[in-house]
Amino acid sequence: MSELMHNASTGDALGSALASGTSGGQSELGRGWARFKHNKLALGSLVFIGLLIVVALAAPILAPYSYAEQDLTNRFQPLFSDGHLLGTDELGRDVFSRLIYSLRTALMIGFAAELLALAIALVIGMWAAYRGGRVEQWLMAFTDVMYAFPTYLFAVLLVVIMGRSPLAIVVAIATATFVNQARLVRAQVLKIKTFEFIEASRSIGTGGVAITIRHILPNAVGPLLVATSFGIPNAIIAESGLAILGLGVAPPTPSWGGMIVDGYGYVLGNPQLIVAPLVLFGLTMLAFTWIGDGLRDAFDTSEEDRA
Amino acid sequence: MIGYLARRLVRLILSLVAVSLITFGLLQLVPGSFADLADSGTSDLGGDSATSGSELAQRYGADVPAWEQYLTFMRGAVTLDMGPSYRYPQATVEDLIFDAFPVSLSLAVPATLLTLLIAIPIGVLAAVKKDKLADYGSIFTLTSLQALPGYLFALLLVLIFSVGLGVLPVRGWSGPEYMIIPVVALAIQPIAMLARYVRTSMLEELREEYVIAAHAKGGQRRTVLGRHVLRNSMIPLVTIVGPIFAQLATGTVFIEALLGIPGLGRLFTTAARTRDMPLLMGTTLFFALVFLLINLIVDLTYSLLDPRIRHEQSSSWRRTRRPLRLRASKSREPGTDRPAAPDRSPGASDTMEVVRP
Repeated sequence: MSELMHNASTGDALGSALASGTSGGQSELGRGWARFKHNKLALGSLVFIGLLIVVALAAPILAPYSYAEQDLTNRFQPLFSDGHLLGTDELGRDVFSRLIYSLRTALMIGFAAELLALAIALVIGMWAAYRGGRVEQWLMAFTDVMYAFPTYLFAVLLVVIMGRSPLAIVVAIATATFVNQARLVRAQVLKIKTFEFIEASRSIGTGGVAITIRHILPNAVGPLLVATSFGIPNAIIAESGLAILGLGVAPPTPSWGGMIVDGYGYVLGNPQLIVAPLVLFGLTMLAFTWIGDGLRDAFDTSEEDRA
Repeated sequence: MIGYLARRLVRLILSLVAVSLITFGLLQLVPGSFADLADSGTSDLGGDSATSGSELAQRYGADVPAWEQYLTFMRGAVTLDMGPSYRYPQATVEDLIFDAFPVSLSLAVPATLLTLLIAIPIGVLAAVKKDKLADYGSIFTLTSLQALPGYLFALLLVLIFSVGLGVLPVRGWSGPEYMIIPVVALAIQPIAMLARYVRTSMLEELREEYVIAAHAKGGQRRTVLGRHVLRNSMIPLVTIVGPIFAQLATGTVFIEALLGIPGLGRLFTTAARTRDMPLLMGTTLFFALVFLLINLIVDLTYSLLDPRIRHEQSSSWRRTRRPLRLRASKSREPGTDRPAAPDRSPGASDTMEVVRP
């Protein structure tokens, strides 16, 4: 994907657009970024997500305790208690440390599932649009069948079959969500295919695959970025939802859904146990949405382009 | 019309067969045969393996090939005799489903009504106050609300009303007061989605020439809005309210699990976790049936309400289709004098935003 984007930037147009901040850059990406950074809320959200990624990566350094270490003499410590910023849970584990590690679970599965879904969608969507015919028909028929599965139930089925490892969860979420994005890719390719510069490119003898990768994809980068920024939070929602059903990552690895469902049993006496993951979860979802909205405005993709 | 209906019904049945084949095929990948799972399922969970074991073995036979098991199940599904479940050997699958469905419905119907009641006024208000603070404010709030899954709202409501004020129960299902939190939590996302949709739809209608004509004939703003614009902009809503209801009726899985509500979602989850084959197949097929039926009804209603929508158009391999005039909205945005060519490519994306449970 990054290679494709690099190709998209046609030389140093991206660089100059990034540096000068004008919207005179040549590439779709550069122009989009120039518009995007005027949106303070979206930019702030991007910084916030960046910060979360850093925290998640640095979890072993930042977390004061292990996420699994139990201390049964020290259960249900309140907020700001001695040595435990956010108190301890029903097994005496430090909530703050678990929250930091749960960020890892959420972001890792969210990003991985969305990237995998996007990769499958790119291959199938481009193939369907380029070759048409049978592949296209199968994609459409498969989409129709997938719509008959209520949201996320297909992911639940897959997790039941593959088990609860992080990889299985990523594959399950990606398989359950790639269809919409494949349709998006296909629609984009079909739209751009009709432009004149594609015809010009074809008339000088460029092959179909080269046209798709070098010319069509870079021009579809806006809608794809928007779809990705809405796909990641959806994957995180699915992951936490699976954990609420008892089908998330295996304990003691912390995840937001797991912390919520464990804490929920003690909500009357110790509401702080679910408040912490709830706040972080909510803020993360809002940040991704505001980024997605900013991208949508920046790339001027219409509402219907959203997958 | 009859031919169209027949085609749609055939397609519906084909979709159901595909769903059942995918589900059954996937479940074949789980180690263990029907009978093995039945044994482990019942003994692990304290079921009475003696009674159910024989009945299940009699029904699905331990050494019968998979395709025959599939046919047995499908025959049962069609004749509404799906036999006992592994987890609950005393009850049949169809009994369990028919017990759970009313619970889910009693969440979905109020949630849909609440959605309509709140979303339409908000959407109309935002459209009428276009480009004013109220419009920007409501659009921003709605976009943000739509980002949060229903189960987070359920938790928020529990924290406020159960923990903070102590007026509503935390979990369970034994009275009308248990409905309040799940219904409100379920409705918030659809409200946000529908209100934005109403706004777009209203703005679209406001640009039509008949609005000017109505004003020119001396119509009060209120009358024009209420009698003409609102009415016309309600037609496309049918296409979105149906799927919202279908999602709510079947997709309350996470909230049901969290709040301990014995609806369809929890039945499905239990079946999935205990690998209760007949129950899992039964609930999945039932989900799919409800979903497909509602979409069919929406399409039929829509073509009745708006005869301009041809049957051929709405009968492609998609569920519901937005009316074309809604999608061409960009072309009539003020500021562009020449309407851009509407996207007529077969791939024109008409994906609907899907409600998250």
